[in-house]
Amino acid sequence: MAETMEKRYRLSLSWEHDKEENYLNRLSAEGLHFEKISGFVRYTLKRDPSVRYTYRLDYQGGFNKKTNNKQEYIGLFEDAGWEYVSSYGNMWHYFRREWREGEEPQLYTDRESMVGFYKRIQSVILILFLSNLIIMSVNILRPGPIRIVLLFLYAFLFAVLGVGYAKLNKKIKQAEG
Amino acid sequence: MERWKEMLPLTEAFYYILVALYVEPSHGYGIMQEAERMSRGRVKIGAGTLYTALNTLLNKGVIENYPGPEGTDSRRKMYAITEDGRAVVKAEIERLEELLESGRTALIKGRN
Repeated sequence: MAETMEKRYRLSLSWEHDKEENYLNRLSAEGLHFEKISGFVRYTLKRDPSVRYTYRLDYQGGFNKKTNNKQEYIGLFEDAGWEYVSSYGNMWHYFRREWREGEEPQLYTDRESMVGFYKRIQSVILILFLSNLIIMSVNILRPGPIRIVLLFLYAFLFAVLGVGYAKLNKKIKQAEG
Repeated sequence: MERWKEMLPLTEAFYYILVALYVEPSHGYGIMQEAERMSRGRVKIGAGTLYTALNTLLNKGVIENYPGPEGTDSRRKMYAITEDGRAVVKAEIERLEELLESGRTALIKGRN
């Protein structure tokens, strides 16, 4: 049977990675298996009814240090039985393994590392927030009608980032028990 | 005070990683299997937990990279425990022994 590729469009937010995992796992149960994300919202999937996977996302930033090599990172996950699928923005990394009845394999198996995972995502949101605050302050100094539009756009962006940060805080509290 | 002292108490994952490496240098997968074996299947360290734990332990200087044998897969990095790492394990075992002893004494006293 010839392999067919399909596209899906979906906006996923960094603080809702569990929803994205559920989404990918649901599609995989229907025979549509995630391959990659491109252009922010475009998901490429491969149709193959003969398999079913469990997908997991990991967040790791900055693979440039000698001790933090990406190949070694992927190698460790592969040794643990995960197949590396693709990365998004070199921060989000998608892994999968064959689905098995009754199994729910996790990447993070204790609360300390789960909290660390959420905090890494939170720190990126914080950086986005602060860098946009600086960019906004520069832009807002320019006179003209565009200023009001910009102000609304930034207010929206800050609100979204703020909600994300707060949601992660809630998850951290839950994980800490 | 030594930097490693603030690591106590260790999480189960950290403890089993250090205990596994106390015996001999190993790679990530070997550590996972050892932890599962020693805990009779109870402690299964997930790949994300292991990867971040190894980075933390490297940064704290309690483990270090270990040159693998010639011709082995370079993606399979080996780790070895350091002197500080051995000190952490010993300090943690002492701490756990005190906890056990206190608990056992209380159980005996509580019988009456």
